[in-house]
Amino acid sequence: MKNFYDFRIENIKDLTLEEKNLRKKNLDLFFQKGFPNKKNEDWKFTDLNTILGKNFNNIVNKDFVSEEKKLKKIDEFEHNFIFLVDGKLISNSFDYEDKNSIFIKDYNYKNEIKLEKQSSLTLLNSALATGGFTLEVSKNYKFTKPLVIYNYFSKNLKESIINSKNSLILNDESKLTLINYIDDDLNENFMTNTIDNIIIKKNASLNNIFINNSRCNGYFYRFIKTVLEKGSSCDNYLLSTGLKFNKLDMEIDHNEENSRSSIFSALNLLGLEHQEIKTRINHNAPNCKSYQKIKNVLNADSKGVYQGKIFVKNIAQKTDAYQLSKALILNDESEFDAKPELEIYADDVKCSHGSTSGSIDFDSLHYLKSRGIPENEALKMLINGFLNEILETLSDKKLKFFLLEKLESQINGN
Amino acid sequence: MLNIKNLEATIDNKHILRGLDLDIMPGEVHAIMGPNGSGKSTLANVLSGKNGYEIKGDISFNGKRLNELSTEERAQKGIFLAFQYPLEIPGVNTNIFLKTSLNAVRKAKGEKELDTLTFLKLIKEKASELGIDEKFLSRQLNVGFSGGEKKKNEILQMKLLQPKLSILDETDSGLDIDALRIVADGVNSYKNKDNAFLIITHYQRLLDYIKPDFIHVLSKGKIVKTGNAELGAELEKTGYSNLA
Repeated sequence: MKNFYDFRIENIKDLTLEEKNLRKKNLDLFFQKGFPNKKNEDWKFTDLNTILGKNFNNIVNKDFVSEEKKLKKIDEFEHNFIFLVDGKLISNSFDYEDKNSIFIKDYNYKNEIKLEKQSSLTLLNSALATGGFTLEVSKNYKFTKPLVIYNYFSKNLKESIINSKNSLILNDESKLTLINYIDDDLNENFMTNTIDNIIIKKNASLNNIFINNSRCNGYFYRFIKTVLEKGSSCDNYLLSTGLKFNKLDMEIDHNEENSRSSIFSALNLLGLEHQEIKTRINHNAPNCKSYQKIKNVLNADSKGVYQGKIFVKNIAQKTDAYQLSKALILNDESEFDAKPELEIYADDVKCSHGSTSGSIDFDSLHYLKSRGIPENEALKMLINGFLNEILETLSDKKLKFFLLEKLESQINGN
Repeated sequence: MLNIKNLEATIDNKHILRGLDLDIMPGEVHAIMGPNGSGKSTLANVLSGKNGYEIKGDISFNGKRLNELSTEERAQKGIFLAFQYPLEIPGVNTNIFLKTSLNAVRKAKGEKELDTLTFLKLIKEKASELGIDEKFLSRQLNVGFSGGEKKKNEILQMKLLQPKLSILDETDSGLDIDALRIVADGVNSYKNKDNAFLIITHYQRLLDYIKPDFIHVLSKGKIVKTGNAELGAELEKTGYSNLA
């Protein structure tokens, strides 16, 4: 197979010699490994190398000169925002908050690029990353309104890759709801490879939501590493329907006692969409709780993957970990692969997992139709009913309403 | 209104209805009684247009052949089936379901669809007639409802959609006396000279509250006896065995 990518450190401006060398070493290691394929256990169901090879002629990394993009804000609920174009921080607004309690700046790559044994995409990220942001919330500060991160992409992105890193630190007792919002009006093929490092300190809590406004031809890979300290919590909601290819790779470390995490997903995949959720929940301390509920609806030729692992260290007694994947397969050509895994070294834990996939319940469909509701509409009601339950636990009413409406419009194929 | 001629229905190679004839006129209440396995629920399913049955014979409704119509078209034309086991539909709000259903039927009739406010006012009124707590309507459809609540919800839907023909499939099963009375009152208050009922039941009990004009005994897929309201009391005494 001919090489379908051409990555160069020289395309990144303003690097010190030392930085350049370190990045070069990362890139060389990436070249040795290449993009992952099914031989890699973390990509058991997906040959990314082949997928990219088929859909790209020559992926390059550019030094992005962002075009002027006009931000179109969500008007359904009041919010703060961070505006990113091609992964680069363009502007931000924290009008609803105490600005002295929030620190935001461009991500600083100096001293952050290291050479470690890592996955090939992480190596690639370390070699080529630019842009990104660092956000830190002060001790005791609780956001009054959600924070939306607008992800826009520019026209000149065709056949190119964006690599970036973001960092988020929630200090003790702080609280934040984050909405990662992709709004893309382009039809170009491009790729993003993003790493989020999130640290949630003592008794702090984060809602981390992923959603798109529109359908998008991008190929997205995102590694999200969340570290939980004592008594902290992190609730993730994945509603990223509409992307051509998307893999959310989440690793959550319960490093101290009484921390809690959850991952809820509701995806309605259409056409040739490919969505993958990979999770690894590390219970490294006692008395922690993790919960995962993954729901997928597969239409047409779409493909969904869930690889979920719960790891319980020997000292992590009284762990309570739960994992459930449910898929509705509506077409013979669609595919769903699930691989739940438990790895437990403690003896006093409660861990359960389950995975089901099936078709729509015809008796339920008949019931709705017998009330005069046309089949197509009845089907959408059932799909919506199957998926919307994952938003039940969200307490912000306005935000919940907004997300339910988005989910409904995703189900309607918009 | 409903004319069934020589109806046969087969499912999974089981020949269940074997030449059933039945005529129902506007304003009439018909009851169908019969032992387990005689085909009562199959008749209800077939009339509602449920998939999976192989059908022979003719069903016509107000002069129109029903055989080829989909379930939703039958409902839109005024056939309503109150289910023996109403389905629990998680994630679907009862009010939204009721509004979608009512508007689908109104639209098919060429009537104006109701906006949310008008709908809520209407449903509140209908629910209170049946003693249904409004809180139920904001819950998921039938999820966690008791047997009685599910059946009341069926009657609420009937009163909302105002069908011409209402088929009640063992609506009395699982009801205590109070719930039975409420359900029966619901039916009686909706009864008029233009609409008709087909009541499927095992027992005389419901027929003490809703007086039928005709009682038919179904056995092995056929109507084997037809009589007036007294037939029910007689069957209660003698059982079905000597009719079969």
